Amino acid sequence: MIARVILAFCAVFVLSCTPAGDQPDGRTLLVFKHGKLSGDGTVLSNLLREFEQRHPGVTIREELLPASSDQQHQYYAMNLDGGQAPFDLLGVDTIWVQEFAKAGWITPLDTLLPLGERDQFFPGPVEAATFEERLYAVPWYIDAGVLYYRRDLLDRHKLSPPQTWPELVRSAKLVLDAEQDADLVGFVWQGKQYEGLICFALEVLRSNGADLWEGDQERARAGLRFLRETIAGHRITPLSMSMADEESTRRIFGDGRALFMRNWPYARSLLEREGSPVRGKVGVVPLPSFPGYASAPVLGGWLLAVPQSSPRREAAGELIRYLTSPSVQRLVASELGYNPTRRALYYDETLAVARPGLKELYPVFLGARPRPVTPYYLLLSQAVQPEVSALVVGLKTPRETLEAVRRHTERIVGQRAPSVSAEGL
Amino acid sequence: MTGQRSTVTREATSRVCLSEQAWGYLLAGPAFLLVGLLAVLPIAAALWLSLHRRLPIFGVEEFVGAWNYVQLWSDDRFWAACRTTLYFTALSVTAELLLGLWIALLLDGLTSIRGGSPRWAQVMIILPWAVPTVVSAQIWAWLYQPDYGLLNYLLRQAGLATAPIDWLADPDWAIHAAVMMDVWKTTPFAALLLLAGLKTVPGDLYAAARVDGAGAWKRFRLITLPLLMPIVVIVLVFRTMDAVRVFDAVYVLTGGGPGNTTETLSIYAYKTLFQTLQFGYGSALATAMFLIVAALSSLYLLLLRRHLRDVA
Amino acid sequence: MMPGAGGNGSRGGIRRFGVRGLAFCVLISAGLFCLGPVLWQAVTSVKSDQDLVRLPPILPEQATASHYERVLLQSPLARSLVNSAVVAASATTVSIVVGSFCAFALARLPIAGKPVILGLVLSTSMFPPIAVISPLYLLMRGLGLRDTLVAVGLTHAVYALPLAVWLLTSFFRQLPREVYYAARVDGCTPLRALLSVLLPLARPGLAVAALLVFIYSWNEFMFALTLTASDSIRTAPVAVALFPGLYEIPWGDIAAASLVITLPVAGLAALFQRHIVAGLTAGSVKG
Repeated sequence: MIARVILAFCAVFVLSCTPAGDQPDGRTLLVFKHGKLSGDGTVLSNLLREFEQRHPGVTIREELLPASSDQQHQYYAMNLDGGQAPFDLLGVDTIWVQEFAKAGWITPLDTLLPLGERDQFFPGPVEAATFEERLYAVPWYIDAGVLYYRRDLLDRHKLSPPQTWPELVRSAKLVLDAEQDADLVGFVWQGKQYEGLICFALEVLRSNGADLWEGDQERARAGLRFLRETIAGHRITPLSMSMADEESTRRIFGDGRALFMRNWPYARSLLEREGSPVRGKVGVVPLPSFPGYASAPVLGGWLLAVPQSSPRREAAGELIRYLTSPSVQRLVASELGYNPTRRALYYDETLAVARPGLKELYPVFLGARPRPVTPYYLLLSQAVQPEVSALVVGLKTPRETLEAVRRHTERIVGQRAPSVSAEGL
Repeated sequence: MTGQRSTVTREATSRVCLSEQAWGYLLAGPAFLLVGLLAVLPIAAALWLSLHRRLPIFGVEEFVGAWNYVQLWSDDRFWAACRTTLYFTALSVTAELLLGLWIALLLDGLTSIRGGSPRWAQVMIILPWAVPTVVSAQIWAWLYQPDYGLLNYLLRQAGLATAPIDWLADPDWAIHAAVMMDVWKTTPFAALLLLAGLKTVPGDLYAAARVDGAGAWKRFRLITLPLLMPIVVIVLVFRTMDAVRVFDAVYVLTGGGPGNTTETLSIYAYKTLFQTLQFGYGSALATAMFLIVAALSSLYLLLLRRHLRDVA
Repeated sequence: MMPGAGGNGSRGGIRRFGVRGLAFCVLISAGLFCLGPVLWQAVTSVKSDQDLVRLPPILPEQATASHYERVLLQSPLARSLVNSAVVAASATTVSIVVGSFCAFALARLPIAGKPVILGLVLSTSMFPPIAVISPLYLLMRGLGLRDTLVAVGLTHAVYALPLAVWLLTSFFRQLPREVYYAARVDGCTPLRALLSVLLPLARPGLAVAALLVFIYSWNEFMFALTLTASDSIRTAPVAVALFPGLYEIPWGDIAAASLVITLPVAGLAALFQRHIVAGLTAGSVKG
């Protein structure tokens, strides 16, 4: 009896084995590996089918990874390191291009996007994708931090959207005092110990003319102090923000419980959905800065790259050209809400109808600066995240935090070729 | 009454007759094969990697012997993660064992009193274990939300808390929140095993003890506990193994924060391996975790050896 | 009726009822504690998107089946459940079969170095999966098993084997030696003795081990994520991990999906508990 059961399972096993890397005769199979996109998955699938029609002889297989950036990074590291990666096209986060390029895992794509054409795209992603003067990835969609605010609440108290951080604090305090609503908080932002925290911290520091890893220490400390004071000093931000990521803050704001929110542009369409408590009451402006400096949104977004080991680089390149073409970017922008990387589309009339708020985002994306463009970036970020998180909850003072950050930076980048000490990282 | 039976029993089917010892190796063989191929090989690869400095991004690949381990010794973040992990393990395993034992005793007691098994009770008890960890971590993250989480809401309704508790954001609470979630999830494991163990205790022993006038506590201490010890050791060993290696539960809840206060060894190893891509050092971290688990398990087995009655 | 740890005779009927009632109440509250978060998931899964964050009310004014519809009809979850079932069932079968053979050998047959063997088997389970996952993935790729159910099932079977072996060794040990020797005297080979005599007696142990291995395999995430790639091969936990899009986490859908995933296991647990409770009643232990 047992033998029969075992045989049955073996049979099911064998039947359910799909041989991987199946190649229909004569046709090229391109494997496109990317993280799951929000919204309707069929939009992208249809686009890929259309590409197949335009290029007879090419089949595309889409393989999804979880949307989490960490999990995708883990997957790519495992596969690209072993050589012979089982995919021909991958979606990369802006912060990975440098390290993948340095490792020789992805191939230069200068021919796809020659120098002359590069200014059709936003400069930020292009800068992030350029390693040793060669372009290693083509920008696919772009993201940058923006400030959301409750238009109705500000209007009620005759305030305009803040342009400086001190002004934001003042407005928040005023509204909170006037409203006397125990559930309402002033300002929500992503304070969890992860990459998002570094993004926001950079946005604050850079808007004060400073930076985390180098540069003026006084102004950097002031920026860090501002982060902590929203919680401890001005009390416009609850301590629970030290555990908040994009979705938590979006839900708090979306339930009408926050006045200001720092988030990526994706939240807007969700906030304006049918049945949302804040529908019609939300405004979006560029992030504030400190007096005398410009707003400094941090660049996010994803790009398309081709592994060095792929034998089908030309076909993959064709697919990249297709996916980043104006018509496809227009479609993805209107159907899925992803922001295109081609500058001209922001003045496109058909797109403006489907995405009315898009034009306002143009200056934000134009001015969005990438995080440090270096293969060491993830090392730097991982070393620094705990320090900034400790600052947010008050375990470290701004001075201690900055000292620790600079110490880590020195240890990681200070020594040359190539000695990355694991100590204390 | 042991020893090798060297006599061969001939059967009607006249198959090849093997000695007991040969049968032993034959039957244990497949397990070794499977484990050897799919477990030992990758582990050996990881151990080998831990003796190298391997940073694929920078093209560094060199054999450094025990250098990674020397680095580990002087790594503050490693020791902090060690302390967090051991604290988590101690709280978690103790709670699970005690709660699991209690629930198992309840279920066992109920069974015999009622004369039938409370099936629904057993299913209910096993539900937390049945939920995938990634999902349960998200459920609890949701519950722990200070503003719209159920836990704070209930506490406030019950009048036990005036201000919302920052379960995850407060450095003092965060690791305990993770412990609570882990205990919720894994107590069924302990309860189930202990219940099965309780069921194998012969009832006439209890009857005899009752006749001798032994009270419930004495019966528990002198009959139940000693006979349950082999299972208790298994529960201890396996729960400790899992608790030291805990990853999803804490990572989804806090990501290791705030300020690394809830960073366990596996989170540190994960970040080292797959974020910063230091394969050699990350493997050394994993080996260190393995050594800690092995040390703890050996400790249990040593201390509780007299209870084991030839399991190992 | 099975003699157990409970009361016998009719001593103090009312007091017994009080004790019984108290035990019952405690069990109910323990059950509520276990069930609580799962119930909350159930409630969340029928809330509309707007209501998800509102608290009060705990119960939604209007229950919606949209999450279940999305999860069961519009997502690959249904297929992934089948995959999970296949993987878990085969991993359990392999683990229990191989494990019981090995456990029997360790418990009753005279092979050398038993503590060493048990220790070695256990130590493979002690190594953190994160360090092993990369070499294992490369091994599977090398064997041509990337993106197959075989890879996942085999991996689960191997990594659940130590628990199965340890549990079953303990259970076999607790069976009286006489049973085995009697079977041998009757002319059985050790294998036949195992199959026809000892296994039926070890039913609680087998049931527990099988249930635990099944649950482990059903819920296992890291290996399943790494070793599979296409939608048709995915298992259930991985399918749930694919629900969130960039930044956005569809809470209602995830709640619905997690309930759908949990129910088969709960059903299985209900089925198995009968065997766990059976105990040594088979009447094989004669005086």
